[in-house]
Amino acid sequence: MSDIFFLILRRMRMPLIFLISVYSISTIGMTLMPGIDPNGDTWHMSFFHAFYFVSFMGTTIGFGEIPYPFTDAQRAWVLGCIYTSVIAWLYGIGSLLRLVQDETFRYAVSERNFRVSINRIDQPFYIICGYGETGELITQGLADMGIQTVVIDIDPERTNAIELNNLSIPPIVLNADIKEPKNLTSAGIKGGWCRGVIAVTQNDHVNLKVAVACKLIKPDVPVICRSEIEDEAANMESFGTNFIVNPYLTFARRINLLTQNPGLHRIQNWFINQHSEEHLHQSVAQSGLPKGRWLVCGYGRFGRAVTQALADIEVEITVVDPDPIASRAPKGTIVGRGTEAKTLREAGIDDATVVVAASDDDANNLSILITAKQINKNVVTIGRVSHESDQMLFEQARCDYIFRRSLVVANEVLTLISRPLVTRFIQYSYTLTKSATEELIAQICQLTGNKSPVTWRLAVRADRSPALTSHLQAGGALNVEDLCRHQRIPRANAIPLLLWRDNISHLMPSPDMPVQENDEILFCARRNTDLLAQRLCDNEELVDTLINGNEHSIPLIRWLSRKVQH
Amino acid sequence: MNFEKVVFAFFIILALSLNFGFFLGEISESTHHHPYELFAALFISLICTVMKFGDRTHFGSTVLASSLVVDGLLITAAITWALATTDGRVISPMAMASITSLAGGALMANLISVILLIIETGQIRK
Repeated sequence: MSDIFFLILRRMRMPLIFLISVYSISTIGMTLMPGIDPNGDTWHMSFFHAFYFVSFMGTTIGFGEIPYPFTDAQRAWVLGCIYTSVIAWLYGIGSLLRLVQDETFRYAVSERNFRVSINRIDQPFYIICGYGETGELITQGLADMGIQTVVIDIDPERTNAIELNNLSIPPIVLNADIKEPKNLTSAGIKGGWCRGVIAVTQNDHVNLKVAVACKLIKPDVPVICRSEIEDEAANMESFGTNFIVNPYLTFARRINLLTQNPGLHRIQNWFINQHSEEHLHQSVAQSGLPKGRWLVCGYGRFGRAVTQALADIEVEITVVDPDPIASRAPKGTIVGRGTEAKTLREAGIDDATVVVAASDDDANNLSILITAKQINKNVVTIGRVSHESDQMLFEQARCDYIFRRSLVVANEVLTLISRPLVTRFIQYSYTLTKSATEELIAQICQLTGNKSPVTWRLAVRADRSPALTSHLQAGGALNVEDLCRHQRIPRANAIPLLLWRDNISHLMPSPDMPVQENDEILFCARRNTDLLAQRLCDNEELVDTLINGNEHSIPLIRWLSRKVQH
Repeated sequence: MNFEKVVFAFFIILALSLNFGFFLGEISESTHHHPYELFAALFISLICTVMKFGDRTHFGSTVLASSLVVDGLLITAAITWALATTDGRVISPMAMASITSLAGGALMANLISVILLIIETGQIRK
């Protein structure tokens, strides 16, 4: 508030001084000009009359000549006064209007509004730095989960879209340079409700700077950074950035998994991409990517990540790159873009199993995919989309697996934030054997009817699940099976994925494992249903009925019988 | 030399001088106090007030406060004068005395402004 007030006062100095001067000089002049009264005597206006006259003259012009008709000298003076006072008023009002349109003034107003809304936050929130495609997906995902966000981006054109998105929990927006640490402070990083900072700008160095600033301003706030360059990632890691998300490495790992263990890839895909699904062809998802001979067109960051991720499995990779020396491509690289049939033939497209269009140009990538399909019908295609809007074209080109950087980053960030147990499950899931994976998939498919499942976390704590906690404290027995299925409500069945106890993860806990207080259990179940565990956690009657086996009568009779007992 | 400072010091000292000039003389004697001088003192004091608008320094806000006091007192004096001379009456010694004493009060506030100005100037170290 004070900023705006002082700014107005400061800007209005000159117009006000001008206005006061004009009025004063006019008034003095009016008292000096000689007039003639009806008796023919000379008279001079008093200050009171002069000020009265100047006041109505300046604002309305035309109340008549009072108290007696003016002499020519008085009229000449009034003529001058009229024009100067009009100018003074125009100048004053003009300055005020200009001030309202002034950038600095508007910035002060928007900054004040921002500060007020930050101070009003009374729930956990995340700060999102950079509102590009990734930031948009993350904001959307967090809003869907009911989490408040604060978005900082320098470009008002991008953040204006937030208003139009109509999110259920509208983010608080600041248009400011995130490289300035004071903007992080004004976004409320020091307040007790800030749960984390997510730096997802296009520029790695900016993300790095945000991470450094956060760690210096408030070391215990978790920082999640997007990083596409490995040097910067190592730099970020060196001062304790909590999570670094590299879309290229992540996606390359997923390609590797899809080649080696498609089942596990499918499970991870379900659990990571709960908000927006990846585009992956059904048959490829079932059978995985074929081994054999792969063509990687474009040896940039993505091409390199794919090549490295596949290095230890039996895949023969041929790289195609227009400038192998500049991009430090491996030996045997075919020179060319891969958009022409000639280059692709040279690289051996006829007996290739997979083509990866990895350049950073959407048009070239599309051209590669279409040409490759024309030459070899059976080839599996993986395409990289740089611009969100081109996604549709890749789908039209029947690309089997589409890599969208923003989606990969957003899904990983959302998983990290909202589903810590899922992250753990994914880490540990690599230890599952192939047959265990197949079995889990079969179980899930049977449960959900071949649709993608959702995950849900149960925390056996007094604040989150009072009914279960009091049951356990009363010495009641409870095992995992009890929380997962009951013949009375078969639709509410769930599959336990992970049990977290005393910082130890128990992957796929067995049904007869006893549940203790402070356990956290990750379940997966059918979409849009209330899980059994979800119903049990705060419903003591239900716990008593289903777990202790005490049959309850109709609520009214139960209530009456209790009355009698007491 | 800071031009802005020169202008401000000029106005603040001018306000004091004009005010003093008006105040000088027999307190109830209307021939000793000229209305133009009162008007000039009020005008300059208003300018001083506006010049300190939006100044967030401690000095600026104190000067703003004291010049607001000056404005208040001088405006009251001017209104008293206007009321005392309505419909062509000659100003009474009693009214003149109260106008002069109001101007005397304003003189004190003006003096404080000038003292503040001097203190502030003294604080600047080369």
